[in-house]
Amino acid sequence: MFVLIAGGGRTGARLASLLLNENYKVRLIENRRNLLSLLHQELPTEVIYEGNPIDPTVLEAAGIREAHAVASVTSDDSMNLTISFLAKKMFDVPRTIARVNNPNNAWLFDEKFNVDVSLNQADVLAHLIQEEMSLGDMMTLFKIRRGRYSVVEEKIPAGAKAIGTLLKDMALAEHCVIAAIIRDGVMTLPRGDSTLRENDEIIAVASPEGAHRLAELLSAPVHPERSGGRKTS
Amino acid sequence: MNFIVVGCGRVGAELSYRLFKSGHQIIVVDSNRESFNRLHPDFRGRTLEGDCLAENVLDRAGITEANGLASVTNSDTLNAVVAHTARSFYKVPVVVARNYDPTLRVVIESFGLQTVSSTFWGAQRVEELLINPSQRMIYSAGNGEVEVYEIIIPETWSGSTLGKLLEPLKQCFPVAVSRAGRSALPELGTVLQSGDALNISTTYDGIGALTARLSEKAEA
Repeated sequence: MFVLIAGGGRTGARLASLLLNENYKVRLIENRRNLLSLLHQELPTEVIYEGNPIDPTVLEAAGIREAHAVASVTSDDSMNLTISFLAKKMFDVPRTIARVNNPNNAWLFDEKFNVDVSLNQADVLAHLIQEEMSLGDMMTLFKIRRGRYSVVEEKIPAGAKAIGTLLKDMALAEHCVIAAIIRDGVMTLPRGDSTLRENDEIIAVASPEGAHRLAELLSAPVHPERSGGRKTS
Repeated sequence: MNFIVVGCGRVGAELSYRLFKSGHQIIVVDSNRESFNRLHPDFRGRTLEGDCLAENVLDRAGITEANGLASVTNSDTLNAVVAHTARSFYKVPVVVARNYDPTLRVVIESFGLQTVSSTFWGAQRVEELLINPSQRMIYSAGNGEVEVYEIIIPETWSGSTLGKLLEPLKQCFPVAVSRAGRSALPELGTVLQSGDALNISTTYDGIGALTARLSEKAEA
């Protein structure tokens, strides 16, 4: 698979490294001098193509006609939209992914400009932070479907509502499945008649509602004291 | 009519004032409040400070009621995106985008937008005037790909026919010949006189070739 990346800032450079590690064919287009010298320290020379990524002749010379996907990750939203538009209109690229810098511009990142997938960085980050704050000890291992679903891990605290209840009786929201229970370092695949014990760790796949319901079932009856905080009573 | 002008640089400020003077309702949008200082002191249209890609800014500019929109910022991609959104999404009846960097003209054109390449057009005009001060460009079509020039027939070509003059010049189309203040539709058999004003529709290369031919002496 060949991925063309437009924009060699932190996002573009990081993406190129990740994809190269996965053995993708990658080409990154950038024309800003100061960034190019940094890029040459991080990436193999043959990956970097010097040129203005909105110039169709540059896109073509960088091999866009062979690309399976184009990721437009410059810091300018109008550039990312234009590149996505051209990628499909002029070069029939099968898949376009574009970065949204300003959340106010997110509404344009769809079929209006031939964008298949848009990534709204401020939005994704804000939601992750919100989730981390609201879900207590639950830890998000990774996100799937653009952050709509998560794979989460949680350790069962003493006194949690769910302890002793059969999994099938837990009334978990339909958007949550407990995929594994790790007890004393051994992983078991749970069934409907499994139960949870204190100090078990579970791994679950959940939607946001599912994660909330799960957090409620697994939470300790009272909020833990803030360690180091001043006690008021 | 209601017009939206996006970008209040020199082109935007001048365009807004011209439209205002012709009696239209204008709103100028720019993300930088300082830009509105460029507007003529007599300008009485509206100004709107905001990011022109934001949905609420376009709505506040009245894009759903606009008769036309011109995007004339100095960013080609911004002009392309604003103009494409106005035309394809809001169905604004007339949309014009400015091309700023001549190397990126193909980008704006690939959106199928009406484009004015101010930089390219200006440079070409200045070049023409520098190289050939005697030709006068009368009309410029599109972005100057085809232009109508007025040239004065020199003494050396007096007595030749128009057909003979234009014979090797495939890109030159005669439009009118004027003599003593009266114009006529030209025919290839028309006999030229010194001082005739000939209007020719041609390309940049065509006018160069015609100028070169005029400086030669007509073959007997």
